[in-house]
Amino acid sequence: MRGQIIDAIFARMQTDPDIFFLTADMGINLVEKFGETYPERYANVGIAEQNLIGISSGLANLGFRPFAYTISNFLIHRCFEQIRNDICMHNYPITLLGTSTGFDNAPLGPTHHIVDEWGALKSIPGIDIYCPSSVAYAASLLDKIEQAGRPAYVRIPKGGHTEPSSVEDMVKIAGENADMLLVSYGNPAQVCLEAQRRDPRLSVLIINRLHPLDDGSLIEALTPHRQILVVEDHFPLTGLYGSLCEFAARHPLNGRIKSAAPKNYAFDVGTTPEYFYKKFGIDVHSILKLAGN
Amino acid sequence: MIQQMESLKTESADFVAMPHKIDPFVVRRSVLKMLHRAKASHLGSNMSVIEMLIAMYGCVDCDKIRELAPDRSRILISKGHCAAATYATLAHFGILPRSLLDTYHLDGSLLTGHVNHSVHGVEHSTGGLGHGINVAVGCALGLRSRGYPERLVFAMLGDGELQEGSIWEAMMFVSHMNLCNLITLVDNNAISSITYTEKVIDMRPLTARFEGFGLSSHVVDGHDVNAIMQAINSIKQGDKPGVIICNTVKGRDVPFAESQPIWHYKSITDEEYSEAISHLDRLEGMA
Repeated sequence: MRGQIIDAIFARMQTDPDIFFLTADMGINLVEKFGETYPERYANVGIAEQNLIGISSGLANLGFRPFAYTISNFLIHRCFEQIRNDICMHNYPITLLGTSTGFDNAPLGPTHHIVDEWGALKSIPGIDIYCPSSVAYAASLLDKIEQAGRPAYVRIPKGGHTEPSSVEDMVKIAGENADMLLVSYGNPAQVCLEAQRRDPRLSVLIINRLHPLDDGSLIEALTPHRQILVVEDHFPLTGLYGSLCEFAARHPLNGRIKSAAPKNYAFDVGTTPEYFYKKFGIDVHSILKLAGN
Repeated sequence: MIQQMESLKTESADFVAMPHKIDPFVVRRSVLKMLHRAKASHLGSNMSVIEMLIAMYGCVDCDKIRELAPDRSRILISKGHCAAATYATLAHFGILPRSLLDTYHLDGSLLTGHVNHSVHGVEHSTGGLGHGINVAVGCALGLRSRGYPERLVFAMLGDGELQEGSIWEAMMFVSHMNLCNLITLVDNNAISSITYTEKVIDMRPLTARFEGFGLSSHVVDGHDVNAIMQAINSIKQGDKPGVIICNTVKGRDVPFAESQPIWHYKSITDEEYSEAISHLDRLEGMA
């Protein structure tokens, strides 16, 4: 999905002189072409994330629409005040491109697990948060960001999933009955799709734009279901589970909302994301069990 | 002095110097009035930066700033708590209506206690330290990219602010990219937040710090507008980005506040205000 997003930006730079691409020295064999082709609209600011955001803001002051790229945890956690003050307070059309989500960097340890970043970010007014679940949505993202014309964060999962093929912000794949709905995003969305393949009664709702959520679409998607299970690779309180609980307080639902998500940092080695999915109950087996199988 | 400034004015096309029209005493008087009316804090820093502000705005085309022209010079107030002095300077340069100064720090006004980009002429809202300089770097890079590499960008920092790590991220990049259009001014008033800067983190000599990062450094009397402008012009003529260490007195020209850390926080009483204004009258009479 990272490739689709990068390719779309690179292609758009040819016709849009206001796009500026910045990296904090990340993206080997991926971002070099920006500097080679558009040296006047590319900067590698070094491993200096605060400066990455500040420089992006200054460029936005000049009318550029910067894309700032690095690993999600460094981009969001370290730069929270810069994002709040320098980007969002000024409503600058800066897009934060964060690579890696959840347990994508599984064996690298808890500093590299991205399990609490977008939830922190959604507390800041005025920023759109996306997490593409498929290459189709990833390829469509640039148009959506440009149309919104305001701060955006793209949480880019590792992987190149072809399903779902929809480019909608919310994609519902209806099951055979209206009892259980699985709600997910990013890589765990694939876990939910696999659970549905094994139990066709389950419905799945995949959300590609995590914040803000469209109330009308949510009412339509959630109302038919008696049980709603939010499956995510992010802490639930500030994650999608928290967002849906807040939504349910405003729009009472027929169903009860449950969570399958990590509840704390993990200090043990897991060589693949699936190790942590199992540990935190966001694997297919655990989901099917919660769904009554 | 005016003659010297006129000569500076002619040295380069975009050097629209007019600081001789702005009297630091007049700005000081405005700032004291604003702080007193609002019972606001930060008197010390607002008094130390006035000549720096006059020099910066005196070196750029203020008409472009007033019109928000895309190719205007950018002035970033990284030490955002110098808001009263910034607003007063903007007003005295004709960028902001002077009548607005009466609303400083009062309910419903946009003239907040840290500079606010809702106020005409303020490029960027700051308040948390170590932000403005990084935005200034982006402006300098952007002006170069847009084809205006000669257009100046100023960042005004505090000496205490230099303790923020983001400052040095900026300096590394400025030097590496040789952003000669960025000029950094340090308000070296020797007081950080609650005590003297040398007692917190002693970074003297500051020139060595910046030179180590590849910048040219200049040390001037920060209350001498002409000296600051000459340093600015020297950096403009040079081939690397530069910093101007402006040695200043926190609380300058307010005798009971000069070099006293408490005046970062304290608000001025009616009696103290009268005393400060009387002192300014005497100084002005002697000038």
